[in-house]
Amino acid sequence: MAYSLSLGLLYLGLLCGNGLVSARSELFTPDPSRGPHFTGCRSREQETFRCWWSAGIFQNLTEPGALRVFYQTKNALLSEWQECPDYTHTVKNECYFNKTFTHIWTSYCIQLRSVRENITYDETCFTVENIVHPDPPIGLNWTLLNVSRSGLHFDILVRWAPPPSADVQMGWMSLVYQVQYRVRNASHWEMLDLESGTQQSIYGLHTDKEYEVRVRCKMSAFDNFGEFSDSILVHVAQIPSKESTFPTMLVLIFGVIGLVILLVLLIFSQQQRLMVIFLPPIPAPKIKGIDPELLKNGKLDQLNSLLSSQDMYKPDFYHEDPWVEFIQLDLDDPPEKNESSDTQHRLGLSRSGSSHVLNFKSDDDSGRASCYDPEIPNPEDLASLLPGHSGRGDNHPLVSRSISSIPDLGVQQTSEVEETPIQTQPAVPSWVNMDFYAQVSDFTPAGGVVLSPGQLNSSPEKKKEEENEKKIQFQLVSDGAYTSENTARQLSTEVPPSPGPEQGYQTFPTQAVEGNLWNGEYLVSTSDSQIPYLLPEAPPAPILPPVSDYTVVQEVDAQHSLLLNPPSLQPAICPHSPNKHLPAMPTMPMGYLTPDLLGNLTP
Amino acid sequence: MNKLKVLQAWLWCESLWPCWLSHAVPLDCKDETGSLTQCASISQEKLLDRVIQHAELIYRVSEESCTLFEDMFVPYPLHALRSQGGNLCHTKPFPIPGSKNEIQQISDKWLLHSVLMLVQSWMEPLIYLQTTLNRYDDAPDALLNKTKWVSDKLLSLEQGVVVLIRKMLDEGILTSSSIFEHTLTPYNEQSPEVLESVLRDYNLLICFKKDAHKMETFLKLLKCRQSNKLSCLSY
Repeated sequence: MAYSLSLGLLYLGLLCGNGLVSARSELFTPDPSRGPHFTGCRSREQETFRCWWSAGIFQNLTEPGALRVFYQTKNALLSEWQECPDYTHTVKNECYFNKTFTHIWTSYCIQLRSVRENITYDETCFTVENIVHPDPPIGLNWTLLNVSRSGLHFDILVRWAPPPSADVQMGWMSLVYQVQYRVRNASHWEMLDLESGTQQSIYGLHTDKEYEVRVRCKMSAFDNFGEFSDSILVHVAQIPSKESTFPTMLVLIFGVIGLVILLVLLIFSQQQRLMVIFLPPIPAPKIKGIDPELLKNGKLDQLNSLLSSQDMYKPDFYHEDPWVEFIQLDLDDPPEKNESSDTQHRLGLSRSGSSHVLNFKSDDDSGRASCYDPEIPNPEDLASLLPGHSGRGDNHPLVSRSISSIPDLGVQQTSEVEETPIQTQPAVPSWVNMDFYAQVSDFTPAGGVVLSPGQLNSSPEKKKEEENEKKIQFQLVSDGAYTSENTARQLSTEVPPSPGPEQGYQTFPTQAVEGNLWNGEYLVSTSDSQIPYLLPEAPPAPILPPVSDYTVVQEVDAQHSLLLNPPSLQPAICPHSPNKHLPAMPTMPMGYLTPDLLGNLTP
Repeated sequence: MNKLKVLQAWLWCESLWPCWLSHAVPLDCKDETGSLTQCASISQEKLLDRVIQHAELIYRVSEESCTLFEDMFVPYPLHALRSQGGNLCHTKPFPIPGSKNEIQQISDKWLLHSVLMLVQSWMEPLIYLQTTLNRYDDAPDALLNKTKWVSDKLLSLEQGVVVLIRKMLDEGILTSSSIFEHTLTPYNEQSPEVLESVLRDYNLLICFKKDAHKMETFLKLLKCRQSNKLSCLSY
């Protein structure tokens, strides 16, 4: 029963809602198109409230008293309609309900009637709490909380007091506040969260801007905000930051200047180095690891030690070397050495390598050894003797050279052999044309050796010659001379006493001896049958007349062997007569070795 | 809203601290060691503060619940019902004055008793409301949680008011939840989505909000009188 009653009232309220003056809306603008109606009801402090109405289009009802307001409080018992307790005299069309007539927690319905016509033009229902719009807070002020370190931002604390009309102390009204602020004359207000206290902090304001702050309040749990308080201006002057920025700029400028000066000084002090870095000099030819200055001015023994430590081998040199080198004889080695292992060969070679070996071009007819084509040694052995062979030390270059000389025996054969395992020197084929030796024709006072140009080997004829030459016996003149094992092997059968290369070759090992480059041994070949084309012994014959040719020491290898500069390729002239000297050399050697010339040595 | 929730949580935690007395028997409180001891006494002021905090919270939560329900289930044109206040809430045993003057003239005793009666009168309807809301298909969890929470807080509030009564009025009182008759019919067979049931529940929420406001107001008035009698009385 009560429920249906309540529901009926609900529906009634729904109907009323059609013409309801919503208690939540702003309503003081009368609607001229309508008839008489209520324009709004408001309460400021929940203790009194007022209602306003408008006559609307019915202008004949504008005189006071034409329209009257009746109200009814809806409690448990339906009370009667009573007329407005107080029509405000000062304000037109206002009905004022004072404290006595204001009941909260009760709903009111008011009607606008024209008594004369007994027409109810408008009716609305509400509860007082829902029409409360509190007064604005008072006493709005601000205090500075802090300023940021940069001086650009600051925080403030805004304080206010509740409106005096609102009885907050008794708890009659529980107010919540809302603070808004904006940059002065901007269009958009920043809104902060509702605050139930009477103060609020605002953070992050800019120092050079002027701000407006205002506050308003409403009853908690209700939606009607009151009017805004008057705005207050907040402005914090920016701390003259020029002072702070000025030193910064100054420091920056001086820093840059200092840096530039430093850079310039650096450049000037390191000019040379920078020049080298940016404009690297074209590298002058030099022996790796050897100071060119030393070569020019150094002592001989130092030079020797230096040179011995270098790998002076030049494959290219051998490549175009047309003649055959010599092999060092090792007189001590017994013939068995023929079967000695590679290692032995190497050893022998190493020994030989320790001595400077001269490469020379022998184009002397007398040294038919050039045409002599000894038996082909073991190609591998030969190969192993080649410079650059794997595992070889620095002794090799000349030694191998010497080996290559051996063989011209092998030359033909080995020429076809591929030098695979070894770092081949393309020089191998050139064995064919290499002479085994060159005739020392003269010695220069300075100690240089003047060699007579050798001859290129021809081919198969050489073999014959070589066989002939096998008979040539060589005698090691001085100690230390040795020959490659191979050659020793080859010759052992025929030249037992002095196993050695069929041809004579000369080694001019230059050991690290002071002064004289030619200290060392050299091979003297004594050929019984043939004319020794080798005229070594110490001081060479002063002059070898017309045919005193010499060759230039091309380089010095690690074993202190001198690599002679081969003259231009000679056509292989197989000297049939060993006796024949080579008076007429197609080419003249370029020079003979002197220490000075060492400086011209190309690496 | 976040601030509100924080405040709620804080107050909720705060409310766990006092030991409420009920059934005229001092509650047993547990101290740090875990043994049961008599509750530490709390000053009247603090108790009143806490009771007021309870009431404030309940009031705010009731308002939120009403809003939630309204947004979810009530058709928009009917939102105005809220402000119109034309709804009738379940009958109370005695009328409560509505004007400030009259209220100010209510005695402390009367205030406390009114509060107590209000609290007690709403216990059952809230349980009913919970049941009803659970039947809705898409009732938001927040609404259900709030309703549940309010029910629990109401119990605490009752206990606090009882203690206050005893302290301030030197009266012993029996707490009973079934003093008042059940004015609300248990749920109908109708489906909850029907407008009628929706409006009924809506009405219930609105009434509860109003009564919660009453409780809060009374208690605050009480407090005001405790601290400064003169300013709270208007003549």
